[in-house]
Amino acid sequence: MLQRVVDWLDERLDLDDVRHFVGEKSVPVHVHKLWYYLGGVTLFLLGVQLATGILLLLYYRPSAEQAYESVQFIVTTVQFGWLVRNIHAWSANLLIATAFAHLFSVFLLKAYRKPRELTWVTGVVLLFLMLAFGFSGYLLPWNELSFFATKVGTSIAGALPLVGGFMLRLLRGGDDVTGATLSRFYGMHVAILPAVTTLFVGIHLLLVQRQGMSVPPSIERKLKPGDELPQMKFFPNYVLRDVVLWYVALALLAALAAFYPWELGQKADPFAPVPAGIRPEWYFLAMFQVLKLLPSHIFGIEGELVGVIGFSLAGLVLLLVPFLDRQTARGEPGRIFTVLAAIALVFMVAFTVYGYIAALQAGAAP
Amino acid sequence: MGRSDAARLGVADPGRRNFLDLVLQIGFVSTAVAIVYPVWRYLIPPKMAEPASAASVIAGNLAGLKPNSGVIFKFGSKPGLLVRTPEGDVRAFSAVCTHLSCTVQYKADTSEIWCACHNGVYDLGGNVVSGPPPRPLEEFKVNLRGEPGQEEIVVSRG
Amino acid sequence: MPAARHARLLPLAAALVLGLSYGAIAAPAAKNSCATCHARLTRSASALPSLQFREDVHRDLGFTCADCHGGDPTSDDQSQAMSPARGYRGVPTGAEVIARCAKCHSDAAFMHRFAPRQRVDQASEYASSVHGKRLATGDTQVATCASCHGAHGIRLVHDAKSPVFPTNVAATCGSCHSNPEHMKGYTLDSGAPLPTNQQAEYETSVHHEAMVTRNDLSAPTCNDCHGNHGAAPPGVGTVAAVCGTCHAVFAVRFDASVHKQVFDRGCAECHGNHAVKAASDRMLGTDQAALCGTCHSEGDNGFKAAIQMRAAIDKLKQGLDQAALLIARVKNAGIETSDQELQLGEAANRLTQARTEVHTFNPAPVDGVVKDGLGIVSRVEATGHSAEAELRFRRQGLAASLVAILLVVVALGLKIRQIDRRAGVSAPPAADKGGPAARA
Repeated sequence: MLQRVVDWLDERLDLDDVRHFVGEKSVPVHVHKLWYYLGGVTLFLLGVQLATGILLLLYYRPSAEQAYESVQFIVTTVQFGWLVRNIHAWSANLLIATAFAHLFSVFLLKAYRKPRELTWVTGVVLLFLMLAFGFSGYLLPWNELSFFATKVGTSIAGALPLVGGFMLRLLRGGDDVTGATLSRFYGMHVAILPAVTTLFVGIHLLLVQRQGMSVPPSIERKLKPGDELPQMKFFPNYVLRDVVLWYVALALLAALAAFYPWELGQKADPFAPVPAGIRPEWYFLAMFQVLKLLPSHIFGIEGELVGVIGFSLAGLVLLLVPFLDRQTARGEPGRIFTVLAAIALVFMVAFTVYGYIAALQAGAAP
Repeated sequence: MGRSDAARLGVADPGRRNFLDLVLQIGFVSTAVAIVYPVWRYLIPPKMAEPASAASVIAGNLAGLKPNSGVIFKFGSKPGLLVRTPEGDVRAFSAVCTHLSCTVQYKADTSEIWCACHNGVYDLGGNVVSGPPPRPLEEFKVNLRGEPGQEEIVVSRG
Repeated sequence: MPAARHARLLPLAAALVLGLSYGAIAAPAAKNSCATCHARLTRSASALPSLQFREDVHRDLGFTCADCHGGDPTSDDQSQAMSPARGYRGVPTGAEVIARCAKCHSDAAFMHRFAPRQRVDQASEYASSVHGKRLATGDTQVATCASCHGAHGIRLVHDAKSPVFPTNVAATCGSCHSNPEHMKGYTLDSGAPLPTNQQAEYETSVHHEAMVTRNDLSAPTCNDCHGNHGAAPPGVGTVAAVCGTCHAVFAVRFDASVHKQVFDRGCAECHGNHAVKAASDRMLGTDQAALCGTCHSEGDNGFKAAIQMRAAIDKLKQGLDQAALLIARVKNAGIETSDQELQLGEAANRLTQARTEVHTFNPAPVDGVVKDGLGIVSRVEATGHSAEAELRFRRQGLAASLVAILLVVVALGLKIRQIDRRAGVSAPPAADKGGPAARA
């Protein structure tokens, strides 16, 4: 039956290219091959976000007066609304976590070297897009914590030199966080970011398909000339393994949704005082903690400004890693960047934990 | 294909293969159902089609509310008092007494709003007439909606 | 032309006249030589009254110093202005003060010209008061009109700066009553010296707090319980009536209770008279912190009643707290709870009512209201528990789907092994074998 459909399409579209691709694509097998799966899991979680996001769209209302009540409606009245909302919230966190893991594995295995520089660049852009998704989506339930987290977060954008004031007004849709901000973040979250993400994911995947999987330099160096690594067929061997991981991720999401449901919180009140120990979500926590710790003035420049510029520079460096790592480009073991990556990882984990503890001490709920 | 043939070709025993495929199929189908079923139920609108708005509620029918009477209605998680004055005006207030949050009621004999807990009395504008309440009752906006003779009373927060 | 020039001056002249007459309205049209001279005196004691008089409501209405002190306010010659022949009466003391104020303030027809709604019985009320009675016996230490209202800078009662504005009354009364020197020699009916701590006690009370912190001007101060001009402490048996003017529901129940016959000081026996603190459930009962044990002892009816009432109220409170926690837990997990919250509000009403019923000092009505409240609480808890059951059901549904997922994961694992063995993981594929299309 399936064969009849395939034949019908073949007569009209000539599916030889597809057959070739499906039959020939392969993945190298070596000791680091497990890291290859992270990209697929990230893609799966993105798909989950898309699906649950569309479902939420059917009931969510993006106005300051109705947003909170609509989320409450979804969670309490719509059948399985609690499941959809909780999966969306947890999957967001899992997605960013796997995106970071994917980034660090690629970084440490130096998959960004020639010819895959563009894949890296599009990947880093995708990470920034995921963070933007997280930031914009967090405001949408319009509860106390998200309102104030957005207030603090957008005010940090205002610290940028020259463009800070403009950026702040652009983000907030005004001078303060209001219903206008909600509308704007909603538009970003459901239209602008998905469109841009689709574009970059498309490019990213196209590049990966064209260039195949990168083999880490340490493995390449061990190969004798003329030797080739064993290969695994993409269809069905690799894909089935990917699917197993997707199912595991799905099970994890369902368990989290049922045992650690996301709370509704209190409806946002712009006139209420900032809750004690207010903090952003964990993926911004390290940055937030560093900014809190910076002294008010460093060499005469405002501390916050130094922090923001510092992080912007770090982001730029991250984007340009393939072009900056001359050692790896020359074929030498790129120790400098390995060490840099390790330091960055330790730094971020340490400050995330620190930030969490500091917030708890200041009175935040766990 | 016999068992030995299958082994020679490196293909797994067809019987076992079919069983594994069967299990796999059952697994896929049941997980697919476990996903599709909730999505299907989610898409079907619930009985209460819209969020119980914190902003407005249908408090009753005009026809059912006689002049010089009052009735308690539910507004979010707090009680409200719907009053029809002796002249026929419809007014709505928060029924939460501003003294110690007891639920007030309408007293037809004096055409006033009264709190039984400590004898607080409010007039038909929600203002305190006597007793311990420190502030007037919060007044809500009232709109009538629908065909004449069958109007619904819609109460909303200012 | 002369006529035209004069015409142009007309608006200027009109403005001048209006301006001057405005000044005249603000200041009395009558000349007041007393104030003019006294204001210039260097000894402050002599100058002060005329300076204070500038703030006086009487001045705004056109009265002069002579209207109280007599004399001739039109004359600039002191011997004429302050001549007894012209009616000068000097500084009044004691009963004279009352007489002078009452000359106008007890004359209904006269007062009608200035303040039609103002009462004119202050002097006769005063005569019935403790102050008035003592003044009649010759005691000049007691308060007279000027002691509370001031003498020269008299303001309207509803002027916030007036010494008899509600927020200032306690301090005004306290200026004598909190001064031990001044109050030396005065005694209660029982013979004990008159206490001087009333103002201090009042300032710790919940009534004072209501007025000062919560800006509730209807909160009682000295005159609300003791009276204004007819000031006297509420007598034995009348305290409940006085408190009952605001706290009606409690007074009604107290009057019907056994304590009415027994308590001389009525409500004040348990709640105090000046240092009235916010009532709490801890006052009820037989333990250390409670008040019932002061009179009642183990075995008597009152003791038993106290224990029973306290137990009932505690039970309802506990039930309410438990139910509230349950509903909060369930709400956080994503169940709609506005109905239950509404019901819990109703149950909380019952708790308030139970505390009112305590003043019958009879466990029966208290138990009745508490039983009502507990009924509501148990219904709410029932819905809370069924919501928890719903949550458990969700977890069971999840467990079932996890089993299905586990099944798939295991089966997939085996399938992968099978496919690997057959083909797919090996030496690099030879170029262009054109293998069969993959089976999904």
